[in-house]
This record gives sequence, structure tokens and C-alpha cells, in this order.
Amino acid sequence: MKFKNNSLLLVLSAVLFVLASPIAVVAQNLDPANLLKPRADSWPIYHGDYSGRRHSTLRQITQQNVANLTLAWAFQTKDKGSEIKSSPLLVDGVLFFTVPDNVWAVDARSGQMIWHYNRPSTQGQHIGHRGVAMYKGWLYFTTPDCHLISLNAKDGTVRWDKTYADVNQGYWATMAPLVVGNHVIAGVSGDLDNLVGYLRSFDPETGKVQWQWNSTPPAGTPNATTGGMTWMTGTYDPELNLVYWGTGNPTPVLNGTTRPGDDAYTCSIVAINPDTGALVWGFVVSPHDTHDWDAVETPVLVDADFHGQPRKMLMQTSRNGYFFVLDRVTGKSLLTAPFGPVNWALGIDKQGRPIPNPDKEPAPDGRLIAPDEGGMTNFRAPSFDPKTGLFIVDAHPSYSIYFAKPADGTYGWAGADYGVWGKGVIEAIDYQTGKIRWSHEVGPDGAGAGVLTTDSGLTFTGDAFGNFLVLDTSNGKTLWHAGTGEQMQSSPITYELDGRQYVVAGSGGVLFAWALPQSFATGTH
Amino acid sequence: MRRFRNIAMLVAVTAWLVLVCKDTPTHAAARAVAGAAQAAGDAVQDSPGGKSYAANCAICHGDHLEGNLPAFPPLTGVGHHLNDQQITDIIQNGKGVMPGNQDVKGDELAALLRFLASADESTAKPDAGGAAGAHPSDLAQKGGVLFQQNCAFCHGRDTMGGESGPDLTQSKIVLADVNGDKIGEVVRAGRPEKKMPAFNFSAPELESIVAFIHAQEALAATRKGDRRGVAVADLQTGDAAAGKRYFEGAGGCVKCHSPTGDLAGVAKRHQGLDLEERMLYPEGAKSKVTVTQPSGKTVAGTLAYLDEFTVALRESDGEYHSWLTARVKYKVDSPVDAHVDLFGKYTDADIHNLMAYLQTLR
Repeated sequence: MKFKNNSLLLVLSAVLFVLASPIAVVAQNLDPANLLKPRADSWPIYHGDYSGRRHSTLRQITQQNVANLTLAWAFQTKDKGSEIKSSPLLVDGVLFFTVPDNVWAVDARSGQMIWHYNRPSTQGQHIGHRGVAMYKGWLYFTTPDCHLISLNAKDGTVRWDKTYADVNQGYWATMAPLVVGNHVIAGVSGDLDNLVGYLRSFDPETGKVQWQWNSTPPAGTPNATTGGMTWMTGTYDPELNLVYWGTGNPTPVLNGTTRPGDDAYTCSIVAINPDTGALVWGFVVSPHDTHDWDAVETPVLVDADFHGQPRKMLMQTSRNGYFFVLDRVTGKSLLTAPFGPVNWALGIDKQGRPIPNPDKEPAPDGRLIAPDEGGMTNFRAPSFDPKTGLFIVDAHPSYSIYFAKPADGTYGWAGADYGVWGKGVIEAIDYQTGKIRWSHEVGPDGAGAGVLTTDSGLTFTGDAFGNFLVLDTSNGKTLWHAGTGEQMQSSPITYELDGRQYVVAGSGGVLFAWALPQSFATGTH
Repeated sequence: MRRFRNIAMLVAVTAWLVLVCKDTPTHAAARAVAGAAQAAGDAVQDSPGGKSYAANCAICHGDHLEGNLPAFPPLTGVGHHLNDQQITDIIQNGKGVMPGNQDVKGDELAALLRFLASADESTAKPDAGGAAGAHPSDLAQKGGVLFQQNCAFCHGRDTMGGESGPDLTQSKIVLADVNGDKIGEVVRAGRPEKKMPAFNFSAPELESIVAFIHAQEALAATRKGDRRGVAVADLQTGDAAAGKRYFEGAGGCVKCHSPTGDLAGVAKRHQGLDLEERMLYPEGAKSKVTVTQPSGKTVAGTLAYLDEFTVALRESDGEYHSWLTARVKYKVDSPVDAHVDLFGKYTDADIHNLMAYLQTLR
């Protein structure tokens, strides 16, 4: 009888569980705890984990066996003209990735499609899309016309759809939101108009707005800037409960006359409380920018020694050509050093910020500027390798000419600029000194691939010719490569399923999964 | 006990529901299309061809053949660039994302083709001079929508320049273009050396974009003194004599160039921004390479390709050869690198002076 009672209890609790949380049972499900410490069989956040280091502890693929790396599968989006610029998420064996207007769910073992969500939109820039965010069984997808859409991860059906910026004013969206606790944090794009950049936080269940943080004062404020778009995914320190986000350039873009001063918080790194949206500190990476150098590149969070002292640091290789190390508790500078040719600053001020040279502002007869407007690096992610202390980034030494004259006005772009030369170099920066420990040339104009490192001393990236590269993290030497037929515009990810390590990277319209042969990986045939 | 059985049944039913849900993923897009089909039902003409169009085509191409760009091209004027056989082929075998439909055949197919042709005549405006039968302003408007989505980020919303992309209303290519013959080429192939990607637009889409660009070009031409962008007049601030000294001295230009040789008349061939860009870095300049094969035999030619793994050249007769870099020795002679070396040395005044000097070489 006792046994019977127990089994009855068990059945009852099972029924109650099923009735109380049907979603949890039927859906692809992301345990919120996994966001704090992602398992090896997952890649649940845009950057893999909250730190943005894009470093994996996986070590099945090694310097010794990488020569055997082979194609596990390839998935073709067949979406005309759209290059994959997103980082997939991996949860419960399913990859979720995007191009503008489209989300795919693909089996991470086989590369077979599970579902495809397509929502054609005619408004907003369709220049790229970075990916989705996930909370429990739900995905969050931004659209070119500025909707935030919650999809059922199980089948791609829409749960809710919220407009979060006005596409008619000139906003658009490309970014992958960041989930922190019960907040879905989304940012906006919009460079063609004088608009205020902002972050907005949503309730993951209902889509209700929780808070909004604005980068700048309202448009029309005298002598104030607009801009500061929030178009890349930030990072998060659970201990400090701070979200770190990079903000974009000020507007008007190339003409700074109507916005004297630093133009905070454009071209900045900001620390924000994810529960309230309150700014805790801000650091202006490019004071009074006139070259379109968004500071949205990953704010990478590293806990390590700095000059003999343990530090909670934030590192960014910024589009303006400088590598920044900040104390992320206080937002104070620890190190600022260029990581390629820069010619627009007079020096570094006491706060660790480059001092813009007024003679290098865009002018009617042109100014030669390094780097170019695409910057010394851009949205593709860098990686921090803890063992070597190297910050590895796809750098773009480059020169361009910048023009601005009264006829260009003070709205939107407000000038013109032309890249004249550039090249791609994978650089390994010593974070203690800012010195470049090694560099590996990846071709003319620039490469564009992001970087991933693993505990086995490997660096995964791509070159300007469309080769997927595996380098030795300690010296940058090439260990393996494969031509993908198109320049990679995405950042690779890695995960382990059934004892086999995969490295996944989009190139052109194809998602490639590389792995050791099954027999190597699992010791069986 | 009965209670227990009820609970057990409830569990079973719930489990079944869960399984059913799991096994039948619903595709949001497919559902949206089904919804659109209902809305489309009542609008198209009553003829047999019209009915066939409503049943098979209107979902995507619109009740009035207006299309829904960028995914679904308009079919107004489809007869201008496709014949009946080509249209039949697309209907039956599909194209791109469009599925084929083998069920449309015989009388129904003939009626549908007639309907497409008649719809074309009724919408065409012969006096408008627009391609594909649509009024140019409509066409430009359609193109404008596509331009905003795909081109505006780089070229600006009004085509007059933006993030990294040049002002198209002052572009040589646009000025020389006739009905998309030049623009189409660039859009379809891209300009990899300038980082412009290739776009895969359908012919009607491209036509509309071209119409939009030319409409903007006409608009820009009406603005006289306050043209945005870089005018030839803006690039006249240098001192030609100082430029000549730089050319012969610090710049080291005379190592490769001569004002009476390769640069004679250069200011006639290139002006303004075009000249300045070429001066700073002559895009597409060729390098020479000599490859020494394992046998010791050397082959020389114009460098055709070089990455870490492969080197390729073209011999003077056009013959193409490639080798794995690991198996040969090679030496590249790239005089254009002298331009790169100057970037770190130039002052802005050096550039303006050099520009002034080159503009005297007419």
C-alpha cells in the first residue's frame, strides 16, 4: 500500500508538472542556469557565453590531429543574395541561425533543416543579421523593420511580435538580443538620420517593455549629438550584475560642428544595470568621432592579472584602431594602445582616451585617414585565449580619404569618404602591454572572419580568399585550411555532441560544420 | 481505483498531445501564405486564365500581378522579356524559390498565358517610354523600395553617397548607363575590389532599381551650386610647384613614373576624385611573379592569384598556371607597394600638392 501510495503520488506530480508547464515539456528548452555556465554541448548566447571571449574549453581537435579535420556537413540556405553573418545558437542539439527576415533551425548532428521561419519585409536595411537569443523554449528575433519577434524554438511559430523602433524614422535592426535573467535586451541601428540610439529591455514571456536606456539626449537638443546605435550584442558580468555594451557613432556622422564636445555616449562602452536600465559608468572610446567608428566591437570580459594585480577587466579592439583595457568595476582605463596604423589622434589623454586631431576631421579637399571607415576591425568577434594571454583579432590596416563641406549639410551622413587601400591581418595582442605578439596576413582589402580559440591551442578564423583557417594560437602558423568559396563574414562557434567536437562557421549562404572523422572523434567506426 | 484510472488516462492523453505537437512542426511562413491566399481569392478577373492565375499565382505575385518585391517579382509586362515557352517552363519547373506546378497544362495553361499577355496590354502605357510597360515613375518607385533595402546603407538613401559607397549621381558608370547596360553589370557582378557585393536581382527588379537611380540622377542635375560630394573644384587647394618637387624628390614617384611617359596627359584621362584615388592607390595594378618549379625550371608572368597555399600566374600568351606554394619557390615583384609605403609618410598638404601637379599633366 505504501508503494501504491508512492506511485500514485508520482503519477500525480507528473500530471501536475505536465499541466503546470506544458511549454517546458514540449519545447526545445534552454535551462537559464546554462546561460551562466554553458555546457560543452551548447552555444546558448551570441558569444557562446556571457564573457564574450569566444574561447572554448573543448580540446578534442588538437594541433596534432587537426590535419584530419573534415567536413561533417554543410547546410545551404539557398536564400538569394544573403550572406550568413550570424553566430548560430546551439541548444539541445539544434542550431538556430539567421539572415535578414529568416531564421533556420538545423539539426546540429546532421545539418538537416528542422524548420524555417521567413517573414519578408520591405522596409529597413537588409545588410546583415547576427542571430537570435533564447530564453527557455523561446527565440527572440529582430527584423529589418524593427520588430522583436518571439518564436517557439520547437517549430518556429510566432508567440508575439512587438515593434520596438520606427522604421519610418530611419531605424533598422540586425542584432541578436541578449538574455539576462528575465530580460531580453535589444538594440537598434540607424546611421542615415539624426536619431537617438537606445537599448530596450523586454519581458521574455509577454514582450512588455521593462526599461529603455538612451545613448544620447533627444534629437533637436541644442549643441548635442544624436546617434550611439546599439547594433551589436553586449556581454554580462553576473557577479557585478552589469551588462556591457558598445555604442555606435554620433550623427551627423562626418560633420561634428553641431555637436561640440565628446558626444557621450556615442562611440562608447557603457555599463548598465540589467534590472533597471540605469547607467553605472560610461567610457568614450572615440571622443567627438567624425569618422563613423562605432565602438560596438565585443566588450570582452577577462578576469586575470594585470601588471601584478588581479583585475576584473574589459577589453575591446575598437574600430578606431585602438586596443582598450578597462577596469570593468569602475570603467577606468588600464591600457590604451593602437593595434595598427592610426593617424587621427594627437595622443592619449589622462583618462586613456585618444585625443582627436582637429586637422584630421573630414574637409572639403580631403584628409588621409587611417584606419578607413570600416575601421581597424568591425563586427566580427575577436577571441581571448586565457593560456597565452593573447587577444586575437581580425585587424584591417587601411587608409581612406574623408571629405565634408557645407553643402553636405548636418543631417545623416553629412560628407563622403573613400577607402583607398587596406589588408587583412590576424593579430595576437598581449593584453598586458598592447604589443602585437604575432601577426598573420590574410589577404588584400581585408578578411572579415571572426575568431574562435580553444584550450587545445587552436585559433579558428578565415582569410580574404574564402579559406577557413586553423592557426597555432602560440605563433599564428597555419595548421589546416579549406576553401569555402566565399569570404567568411561570420564568427565561428564550437560544441561537442555525442563525444564529437564540431566547429561551425557560415560562409556565403552556406553553414559549414567541420569535425574530425567519426572514427577519430569517438574511437569507433 | 477509478480515480487512478482517470488520472492515468489523462496522463496518456497529455503525452499523446505532446507527441503530436512535437511531430508536426508548423511552418509560420507556410501559414502566412495560406492566409494570403484567402485574401487574394476575390480580386482577379473572371476569365478561365484569370481564375487559374488566382488559384496558382496570385498568392505570391499579387492580385494584380504587382508582385511583392524583393521575393516575388511583378508579372506586369512579363511578356516583354519572356516568351510563352519560357513562361511555361517557369510555371511547370519553378525558378529560384518558386515551386514548379506540373498540374497547370493544356487549356488551363493556354488560358493562363493569354491572361498574362492581356494583363500586360491593359497595364502597359505605350507613351510612357518605360520598360516593361510600367510607368517610369511607378517603376522608379518600386526600384526605390529595393534600393532602400539593399543599396542605401552604402550609397545613401538618395543615391548621393553614404557609408563607403560613392555618390551614384556623379558616377561615371551611371552617367554612361543606358537602360541598365552598365549598372546591371556592376550590380550583378559586384565590385569585389571595392568591397561591393554582387546582387542577384531578377530582370524586372534590376530594371526598377536602374529607373530609380536615373530618376535621382536627373534630380541631382537640377541642383547647381550646392551639390554634395566631391567636385573637381574641391580638389584645387594644392601648390603644383610643391607637388612637382614632391614628385621628383621625397615622394620617389620618378622611380616608376614619368610626366612625359606613362603620366603624359593623365589629367585628360582622369579628373577630380577619380584621379586622386588612382594617385593614392592604382586599384587593379598588376604584379609580376617568377615561379621556380622543383625541376629548377622557372616560369614568369603576371600574378593571377596568391594566397598562403596557391600561387597562379598568366603567361604573356594568356596561359594560366597554378602551383601549391609548398612545392615551388616564387618571387613577386609588386611596384604598386610603393604607394602603400607612402601612406604613412604623406601629409595632407603633400597629397593636395601632388594632386595640383598631376592636374597640370594635360
